[in-house]
Amino acid sequence: MANYNAGAMTRRYAPLVAAIETVGLTKHYGRRALPVHPPFVHPTGLVRALDDLTIDVREGEVFGFLGPNGAGKSTMIRTLLGFLHPTAGRAQVLGLDVVRKSVEIRRRVGYLPGGVALHDSLSGEDQLDYMAALSSRPPVRRADLTDRLELPERTLKRRVRDYSRGMRQKIGIVQALQHDPELAILDEPTEGLDPLMQRAFYEILDDLQAAGRTVFFSSHVLSEVERVCDRVAIIRSGRLVALEEIDTLLAHRKRDVEMRVAGGLPVLAGVPGVTAIVEMDGRLTCHVEGDMGPFMRAIAGFPITDLTIEPAHLEEAFLEYYEDAEANAPGPAVARQREAG
Amino acid sequence: MNGPLLRHTWRANRLRLLAVCIALYAWGNLLPIIYSQFGAAFRDIFEQGIVPEAFANFGGGDIFSLAGSIALGFIHPIALILVSVFAVGFTTSAVAGERQRGTLEILLSRPVSRRKVYATLLIAALMFIALATTAFLAGVLTSSTVFEVMTEIDLSLLPLVWLNGFLMFSSFAAIGLAASVSFDRLAPAIGITIAILLVSYFLEIIGSLWPDAAFLQPYSLFHYLQTRAILMGEADPFAFALLGAVALVAIAWALIVFPRRDLAAPA
Repeated sequence: MANYNAGAMTRRYAPLVAAIETVGLTKHYGRRALPVHPPFVHPTGLVRALDDLTIDVREGEVFGFLGPNGAGKSTMIRTLLGFLHPTAGRAQVLGLDVVRKSVEIRRRVGYLPGGVALHDSLSGEDQLDYMAALSSRPPVRRADLTDRLELPERTLKRRVRDYSRGMRQKIGIVQALQHDPELAILDEPTEGLDPLMQRAFYEILDDLQAAGRTVFFSSHVLSEVERVCDRVAIIRSGRLVALEEIDTLLAHRKRDVEMRVAGGLPVLAGVPGVTAIVEMDGRLTCHVEGDMGPFMRAIAGFPITDLTIEPAHLEEAFLEYYEDAEANAPGPAVARQREAG
Repeated sequence: MNGPLLRHTWRANRLRLLAVCIALYAWGNLLPIIYSQFGAAFRDIFEQGIVPEAFANFGGGDIFSLAGSIALGFIHPIALILVSVFAVGFTTSAVAGERQRGTLEILLSRPVSRRKVYATLLIAALMFIALATTAFLAGVLTSSTVFEVMTEIDLSLLPLVWLNGFLMFSSFAAIGLAASVSFDRLAPAIGITIAILLVSYFLEIIGSLWPDAAFLQPYSLFHYLQTRAILMGEADPFAFALLGAVALVAIAWALIVFPRRDLAAPA
């Protein structure tokens, strides 16, 4: 696995224009003696939520941001939007510094928080009007979005308190995108949506991308990240463990192969990329990683009666990165001990 | 100040404000009625010594004069509870409550600075308190006119009475809002603000009823609510200055803390 650092990232992924760029972004949390936030008093008891995170998101791409609960995804998003102040490093959104130009950034960004909370006493329409008024940009995409997400006028007239979770999520999506932001930051956007609405949402993302908009997409649903994202970053304990094009990531993953052969089995030992070979009663199973060419040449000419190649999925890549990271990198507890020591 | 946020806040609180203003108007009506109808009888009772003389002065108010009854109306727990709907309830929940519910998240994802959010909520709180104070004095004026006791006070001093009451409740509102921006949850914000209000109230009332505890009164914000003194032409500018200073300190705290603090994801 690659060891990601600022220099390597800059060389490998130098973008023409970065919608989001972080360099060595670090955020430490801590416990406070009191539940209050007195000025100029910093918390004690360090927890590293983000650690030296260097990422760039190119303008016009759909970028997936993956990690399990507590990995630092929300911390990253909240730092980009100015809710949290970085402990070290720097971050820019649309070329603007996240600390000094936070308001200007939020003018140009649409944000869907995870588990979006709305004002229960307002109707859906009033909620959207309120958000549009706060944005100081006209809701030019609202009609299209409400149409695609099946939010008819009579539904929008109902109070939010009467909405199901999926309906609230739809309102959350519309409020994030209705003013046609240059960058959409979406935290678990399909949470609570049924499969039809998920499909409608993916089509919305396709249109956004076609219009040159950038989408920063945090999700637990790896299949949807695989489907909609161009590139993906995987973080663990606040550290970046992978940043790859989805295609590149998948190309390096192991595929599960199973074949039945009438006669002698092909000899796959030593074939580049082929591992875990098991032969039994005319059936052969193995893993194939990377270029399929050597494997295909090795089996060419054999009387194969059945061949199944399970495509590589992001989920396996994700788990593999995590297993590797678990084995190679110090865990958060160890890191904290080192820090304390 | 942010227009859409102010409109939203007004809309969310207008019914509550209407109810509080009607109740305060009714309460304001009641005091001159009690004074005009029963004031002399109560004075006789006190003069006969049936009730200890100290009880004739409840937080600087009484029912033996129109000025005293207006003062009593201002410091009475009923008025305190009604105005506290906004001075404490609204202010403490304005940020900490929104944060706890998660709705602060989408508000702050819009191009509105935290200082602007704070300023807007402060203006809304001051507006509510101004209207509540006006409703109370409007009630006093109405029944004073109907029961023909209006001549007992100098009407030109009423704006000062209004300002004094407004400043006192505004100082509590500023404290409530400062607590609201300092905590992640509503309970500590509302708890601290109510504790300050109750301790302050206790110091003033105990000092007014028990002469040996009178030295505690200057430590109470309610001590600087000087309705009767103002209506008797004895206004103390220090009282106004002190109430204003307390509000300014709380505002300065909030303006420093709120933009600097981290807003982690709601629990």
